[in-house]
Amino acid sequence: MSVVPAQPGTGSAGGTSGLYDVIELVLDRGLVIDAFVRVSLVGIEILKIDVRVVVASVDTYLRFAEACNRLDLESGPHKSAGLPELVGEVTESGAHGKTKGALSGAAQTVSDAIHQVRDRGEEPSRSRRSTSRKKEDTE
Amino acid sequence: MSTYVYGIARAGSTHLPDGLTGIGDPPRPVRVVSRAGLAAVVSDCPEQLRPKRRDLLAHQQVLAAAGRRAPVLPMRFGSVSDSDENVAEVLSEHCGRYEEQLDRLAGRVEYNVKVLHREDAALHLVLSEDAGLRALAEANRTAGGGSYEQRLRFGEKVANSMREREAQDAALVRDALAPLAEDHRDGPQSAGWFLNLSLLVEESASRRPLEEAGRLGERHPQLDIKVNGPLPPYSFAT
Repeated sequence: MSVVPAQPGTGSAGGTSGLYDVIELVLDRGLVIDAFVRVSLVGIEILKIDVRVVVASVDTYLRFAEACNRLDLESGPHKSAGLPELVGEVTESGAHGKTKGALSGAAQTVSDAIHQVRDRGEEPSRSRRSTSRKKEDTE
Repeated sequence: MSTYVYGIARAGSTHLPDGLTGIGDPPRPVRVVSRAGLAAVVSDCPEQLRPKRRDLLAHQQVLAAAGRRAPVLPMRFGSVSDSDENVAEVLSEHCGRYEEQLDRLAGRVEYNVKVLHREDAALHLVLSEDAGLRALAEANRTAGGGSYEQRLRFGEKVANSMREREAQDAALVRDALAPLAEDHRDGPQSAGWFLNLSLLVEESASRRPLEEAGRLGERHPQLDIKVNGPLPPYSFAT
């Protein structure tokens, strides 16, 4: 388990590195007051796109089959107590890549997101700009 | 000039650090708009506000600074009012509601827990618990990996089992942590994790859920548990 200190000042770089792990809270939770306008945050909708559909893809099936081929089934799951640390490092960096991927990858699906937003008619926005501008937004 | 609102606190309680700045480039100075015993933490709003990394971070940091000594109701990112006067009117109109929430959240912080699987450990577990899958894996292996079709069919079965395992492990972590918090709420669904759970805990009592999360990670090596916090109570301000 890793605890990321989120208060700037109390942890070293916690403020920035932790932000990606809680970005959806800043964007999606918190008090909303009707009398205030919420500015044009098409980027918000992009973040909600569920990238997890990838789990049901042919690539994933093949990857799992590959991975199972490599697994040493003779050693029980509890026998490999020393393994997780090593695995942890790999997954950790993998997960960071994934998080960033979710953000930058989002730029490519901007137009889909806009459709979704329009279809649902959510979040009245003050300024909707062209798709090319939105790509900058997700920088 | 429109006014960007970060959060709402009690008047006189915020003690903002000198020179605190918020969103925008250059970052706009943060100030307080007070009315009816409440204080909105605000700054000028830049002409074109977009959800840039820098601004999201600024929003978060202003709330962290303002909430260090006193409870603050965090606004969702991107809340903008026409003027300071308009903000003050909102404070006075809804002061009862905000005060009630400030009372409820006083001394409380949010911890956000995200859980994903360490893939190899989870695969190991899934195979070790399913003799049928194990037999298929063994057959594929002796056949030098199996044909494309075989690998695909096998992989799909594994993927299904992995999803079931995710649901099972999500329940496991939720059931262990939720009772240790004063309140809990599911975070938004998104990529990369199978459980996104926010806990509201008393600041002085946050050790228990943190330790329990650590224990869960040790006891179940397939779980990669990430805890973020303490955060302003984003998920519990309504």
